[in-house]
Amino acid sequence: MTVKKRAETGNGREPSTARGGRVRIPNIYYAVALLFVVGLVFSLGNGNFISAYNLSTILSYAVLLLLIGLGQMCAILVGGIDLSVGGLMSFVSVSFVIVVQVIGYWAYPLFILVGVLVGYANGILLTRIKIPSFIATLGTGGILMSLAMIVAPVPVNVPTPKWGYLDIFNGTFLTISNVLYIGLLVFLFYFALLRFTTIGRSIYYVGSNIKMSWMSGIDIAKTRNFAFILSGVGASLAGIMVSAVQYGCNPYVGSTYILTSIAAVVVGGTALTGGTGGSFNTLFGALIMSVLLNGMTVVGVDQYFQQSILGLMIIVSVVLTFDRSKTPVIK
Amino acid sequence: MNDIGSTADREATLVLKGITKVFPGVVALSGVDFSVYPNEIVGLVGENGAGKSTLMKIMIGLSQPDEGTITRDGEPLSLKHPTDAIGHGIGMVFQDGSLVPNLSIRENLFLCHELPFRKLGLLSFRLMRDAAARVLEQVKLSVDVDTPISEVSPAEKQMVEIARLLWLSKLYKQDRPVLILDEPTTVLSDSERTILFDILRSIRKEASVVLISHRLQEIVENTDRIVILKDGRNVTEVPAERARIAEIEQFMVGHSFSADRYREDEQTQAGAEEVLRVQDLGKSGAFEPLSFVISKGEIVSLVGLVGSGKEEVCMCINGLEKADTGAIFLNGKRLPIGSPSGAVWAGVGHIPIDRRNDGLALGMSVAENVNLLVLNRLKVAGFLSLRLEKKNARTWVEECRIKTPSLGTMCANLSGGNQQKTVIAKWLSSRVALLILDHPTRGVDVGAKEEIFRLIRKLAHGGIAMLIMSDTLEEDIGLCNRMIVMKDGMFVKEVVCPPGKKPGPRDIIDAIV
Repeated sequence: MTVKKRAETGNGREPSTARGGRVRIPNIYYAVALLFVVGLVFSLGNGNFISAYNLSTILSYAVLLLLIGLGQMCAILVGGIDLSVGGLMSFVSVSFVIVVQVIGYWAYPLFILVGVLVGYANGILLTRIKIPSFIATLGTGGILMSLAMIVAPVPVNVPTPKWGYLDIFNGTFLTISNVLYIGLLVFLFYFALLRFTTIGRSIYYVGSNIKMSWMSGIDIAKTRNFAFILSGVGASLAGIMVSAVQYGCNPYVGSTYILTSIAAVVVGGTALTGGTGGSFNTLFGALIMSVLLNGMTVVGVDQYFQQSILGLMIIVSVVLTFDRSKTPVIK
Repeated sequence: MNDIGSTADREATLVLKGITKVFPGVVALSGVDFSVYPNEIVGLVGENGAGKSTLMKIMIGLSQPDEGTITRDGEPLSLKHPTDAIGHGIGMVFQDGSLVPNLSIRENLFLCHELPFRKLGLLSFRLMRDAAARVLEQVKLSVDVDTPISEVSPAEKQMVEIARLLWLSKLYKQDRPVLILDEPTTVLSDSERTILFDILRSIRKEASVVLISHRLQEIVENTDRIVILKDGRNVTEVPAERARIAEIEQFMVGHSFSADRYREDEQTQAGAEEVLRVQDLGKSGAFEPLSFVISKGEIVSLVGLVGSGKEEVCMCINGLEKADTGAIFLNGKRLPIGSPSGAVWAGVGHIPIDRRNDGLALGMSVAENVNLLVLNRLKVAGFLSLRLEKKNARTWVEECRIKTPSLGTMCANLSGGNQQKTVIAKWLSSRVALLILDHPTRGVDVGAKEEIFRLIRKLAHGGIAMLIMSDTLEEDIGLCNRMIVMKDGMFVKEVVCPPGKKPGPRDIIDAIV
């Protein structure tokens, strides 16, 4: 199988270890292989799967998952989790629909700022008030979800004259939808932050060993706040996108995305315990999830059955990528 | 006393023969023989990586050999699980302890074996308490058996574990139990150590003990027979009466050490500039106000028993604890209190005692760990540069002689000794002004110790001031320019240790105790 071949050709990473333990293959290889296999299975199931139209649908949805996934990844990498992404996405999506009609293009930076503020609030709850992120974000998520329903008790739409403001997402450039360019830009942004800045690297250190980071002089609070800000921004972008692409939205849109965002992160190979993983992992995770959901519909899998397949996928990918050597006890 | 000459006549109670264990990429044990005779204390020594842990794990059923046999009193044994081993009277007291902290001594002693104490279908606490008191008498422990383990001292915890193993052996009607103790003395003070060895000698009448330790002095003084492993093979065994430490070291490592293990002739003179000034530093409940100075290139040892306050002094200097009175100055500038990042930015480095858990991000690569403190220096146009990172990492990996397949290898995959060196490299590359070394050679084998001493001397040459707390008085004396002795939270005296005119341990002990 693809994975085995790569390990044997000695790609220079992680040869058999001096400690004599299991050979650690970088998680990303599992994710890529999984994508390949899943895509193959579906294209055999239905020829339409690899039509240009279907592929663009898949990519579009993958971008949405990528936006919210990259944010969630930051919270997970630093050792926490962000359960408010669903609420934030709902709130931003309906509010954006209403506000963009009033202030036009300014709505975009405004709601990115909203994401920053919500993320910072989550961070403060963790770092100053010392509430575990699981609980804190559950709380803020709930608040945001009901705020969304207050703002828009019924689904809201952008009236046709204002559609121009949504061209940032709906326009095309060189016959490729803007959505893909935005996905690429956001991906590069997160990638560069994590890879090339000190504070991005600190997210990994803190997620990997918080005590050591504290003793080595890393500013733990600043790092965690930053990670949750990034998470808020991701959820906001996703909320904006879903409204722009559908020309309107309903206030319940975010509820399924809490688990989907975590799935995209985890299926791609980032450990829930934090400290390992990255943007490429989430990219492949988003692609796999999108291919899976789209493929199941195209092939005709029963809608209710799809949920079970999704659950199974999550278990399989966590099994493949979870690093048991660092976690003596599985809770 | 058992003379080793007579072991040939005695029947070994536990024989491991031809044990081979292979992991992917490394042969941990190759045809190793190990026997335990009744009523003896046998020492097992070897460098980190020699195979001691692997052998012991096989002995207690935690691991299965690929080749080889285990025989107990003549009967072949197949140990699939530690409970099989316990059932045959073979048990181990692990280095970090395996008691449940929130349960009491009594509950831990009889954990999972409470059936003998049933009365009318329910557990009888009275029966358990009486039995516990009797069991603890064997190890001369007189603590209230209902004390939760978390409140018990490390020395007492060890006694509880030993007592438990002895009791379990009786329960399973094993009359020749084998107890394995893995580095029992690292967490003990000198007096506790003496007590431990007294207990072991009295236990010898009814059990055999396998003692694993890096402290060769201890092994020579307290065992009957010493077995040496190297690179997964038997080297030899020597009777303890006739053993000399230098000889054992040579067997362990394969070459001899110079008499001057602490490289005293490389000891640098203290420079004129003052690096650290501690002024009337005090912490209520820990230590009384004291003052001292460390100059450039000088090594100062902080010496005292557990409870002398020396650990707290170090923690105040590196910001992990807040002092109540006084001030600390580094290169003339006052250090912020209680802020590890403040101390680090000012130039104070701290190599923690638990290097594995407190010193490294195990899930990240060697390069990422080594570069942690100096990322700001490795940037091009404001962004981290892969090239500069690799360069810095490579320099320090070579300097500290870290054995790793590549710079990108995850630290969890390195051996313990190399993990230690990675932590040291991380702090060295940050060019600190003052480095605090908390028991720098704890848990480190003889070969790696040599390299750490070499590094310490090199740092001093380079002008770095150091504050050291060592595992042995000998090491403290050998390394330092000056020694500060503390007792019961108070500064006692300062002793000068110039090379060639070093005081002996006996001269200092009176001040400490």
